[in-house]
Amino acid sequence: MMNKKRLLAGFSAVAALSMGLAGCGSDTSTNNNASGGGSSDGGVVNITYMHRLPDNDGMVLVNDIVAKWNKEHPEIQVKATKFDGKASEMIKKLETDVKNDNAPDLAQVGYAELPEVFTKDMLQDVTEYAEQYKDHFASGPYSLMQVGGKYFGLPQDTGPLVYFYNKAEFDKLGITVPKTADEMIASAKKAAAAGKYIMSYQPDEAGNMISGLAGASGGWYKVVDDAWVVNTETDGSKAVADLYQQLIDAKAATTNARWDASFDASLQDGSLIGTVAAAWEAPLFMASAGDTGAGDWQVTQLGDWFGNAGKTGPDGGSGVAVLKTSKHPKEAMEFLDWFNTQISDLVSQGLVPAATTADAKAPEKWAEFFGGQDIMAEFKTANNNMGDFTYMPGFSAVAAAMNTTAAKAVDGSGKVEDIFSEAQKTSIDTLKNLNLSVKE
Amino acid sequence: MTDTTHAANATKAGSSKPKRSDAAKRENRTGWAFMAPFAILFALVFILPIVWAIYSSFFRQVAEGGGAYGGGKLVNKFVGLQNFQYVVTSAAFWSGIGRVLLYTLIQVPFMIIAALALAMLLDSFIVKRVTVFRLGYFLPYAIPGVVASIIWVFLYNGQISPIVKGLAAIGINVDFFAKNIVIGSMANITTWTFTGYNMLIFLAALQAIPHDLYEAARIDGANGFQIAMRIKLPNVRAAALLAMLLSIVGTIQLFNEPEIMSVSDPSISKSFTPMMMALYTSRGTLTPSGDGPASAIAIVMALIAGILAALYALAERKVNQE
Repeated sequence: MMNKKRLLAGFSAVAALSMGLAGCGSDTSTNNNASGGGSSDGGVVNITYMHRLPDNDGMVLVNDIVAKWNKEHPEIQVKATKFDGKASEMIKKLETDVKNDNAPDLAQVGYAELPEVFTKDMLQDVTEYAEQYKDHFASGPYSLMQVGGKYFGLPQDTGPLVYFYNKAEFDKLGITVPKTADEMIASAKKAAAAGKYIMSYQPDEAGNMISGLAGASGGWYKVVDDAWVVNTETDGSKAVADLYQQLIDAKAATTNARWDASFDASLQDGSLIGTVAAAWEAPLFMASAGDTGAGDWQVTQLGDWFGNAGKTGPDGGSGVAVLKTSKHPKEAMEFLDWFNTQISDLVSQGLVPAATTADAKAPEKWAEFFGGQDIMAEFKTANNNMGDFTYMPGFSAVAAAMNTTAAKAVDGSGKVEDIFSEAQKTSIDTLKNLNLSVKE
Repeated sequence: MTDTTHAANATKAGSSKPKRSDAAKRENRTGWAFMAPFAILFALVFILPIVWAIYSSFFRQVAEGGGAYGGGKLVNKFVGLQNFQYVVTSAAFWSGIGRVLLYTLIQVPFMIIAALALAMLLDSFIVKRVTVFRLGYFLPYAIPGVVASIIWVFLYNGQISPIVKGLAAIGINVDFFAKNIVIGSMANITTWTFTGYNMLIFLAALQAIPHDLYEAARIDGANGFQIAMRIKLPNVRAAALLAMLLSIVGTIQLFNEPEIMSVSDPSISKSFTPMMMALYTSRGTLTPSGDGPASAIAIVMALIAGILAALYALAERKVNQE
């Protein structure tokens, strides 16, 4: 009896200890990975790279891509680590790592996050190297890797907004993809009468998507005389508010949150047959839809629904930046240029690459779902059609406030246009809180 | 003579004292050695973070470089009580506190009474096969809170939920995400998860009551119901206090349910509860952002929870004494 108790106590002590140790162990190992960046032994430069790419089954794994580089470049050895978590968590981690001087050399940073990361003093000016590789990338995304004229890395993928629609269902209803806002509303009403929806209003994506749609016809944030001029209530914003408000009032658009199961349900029961989506959504969209409408879906450019005159806007997309603590920016950039131009490998990760060195080919499965269409070509067209939209530091706070406000338009307790007045208020508050100059 | 006896006494005392204190010291040392793993971990993972949080709550990160992007120079600036001033004057914070208080007021009594009733039932002679029921009631607690929330969100979802569809089929249309209902939907998840846990606390207390009390009562002619009300209920008061305190502190820290439900209902803001507000402030999704304001939120929240718990304990003692 006594022995048993003692044994039990011993076991639990060991278990508790090893738990503590395991915690420490994983910590130190990541630190080692990260801090390896500064060291170079025997002429070999070690570069560390932290990413947030999916690395799912059937994709070319990041480590496999990196292994190819390492084989060809014995003098520059790269180690990639995947960060499992949200973008905001990764930034928080990097912020701490930079302070403690054990951050990776390279890290994935969203275009909308770059200004914030710069303000937090985490980046290294690599303009002289970036210029060498400028020609390898589309100019829009390339310019999103700069802050105030200085470049901090290279673009990886892009998220131009496009329109996904089920062509067979459109034909059945006798409608085509609308060209103007009026046509959109008329067609949406016609479809809604038949229990189908050709637009979705996604409150949880408002900060990313609606800012992009409004941004198609002009930016919100400009720097004049080294101070921010914020105007989120542009003509583009008003056009977006107007269209969505009319669709919601007429009950001619779905209002499910994008990442809620009900959005998937509306695709699977065939009621949602058209929606604005970011280019990177293609594989996720296929997963959401299941088999419903497979082969009938198509991708096309946005119509002139938001006063956007044929332009589109950005929704997501990221680049890879060189962090402040990196001691080998030249080698890091050399690897980065190579990595970000591995187009087919990156496509397998579900990305729409920002590199223009080769044509991206969509995987066969995507082509099957999208009726044999070359959707990468459509994405590329959209990419080249992107309006200028600069993000401000702390945009994540603006996006969060926009989402909450957007949700209020669904149950009628608010209006779509409130999103933009809320964005204006939050933008200015956030900039002031960061102690940045604002011109009101 | 007296001097020598004194001296002798002194040496006696002196010689015996170190002996005893040696043993005592050794005992002390062993005691501390046994304490050490706990004490070290407690200091490391509990005390130290609290001290650090208090320290950092007096700072705020600001860009000192000036201009549009702050020149990339971020400084940790001492701001005194500014973060606390922000918290206590923040409307978002107080409406968050209001929400969790309302939640506590509705959910905790309901859950405690349900748990007590279940425990009484299991402790009575009515129920056979107590183990099956005990395990059954406790099972929801074994499911992690996040997973439970996800399951419930599916059950609440208007488009896929069998509950909503079933009710609609018999003519009742419910929207679990409607403005004033949503907090009740969250309370339901918490109640579902924690009733079984609280029931166990009560059951343990009930089974600790000596059974001769029941026998004596029965000889005096008390029936089962009277035994329950007159003997069992007063004897689980201490357990009830514990369960109430744990529940009050737990609901003030409400996080999982609203966080998961906000995926389906984005109108649940990032500052819906104080706990969410603290997290998203530190992540930079709420302004003012950073660890300073986030720590201040957490500290004020902890103070409020502490005061409430203390008030409840005091009130309970007073009521008991009367």
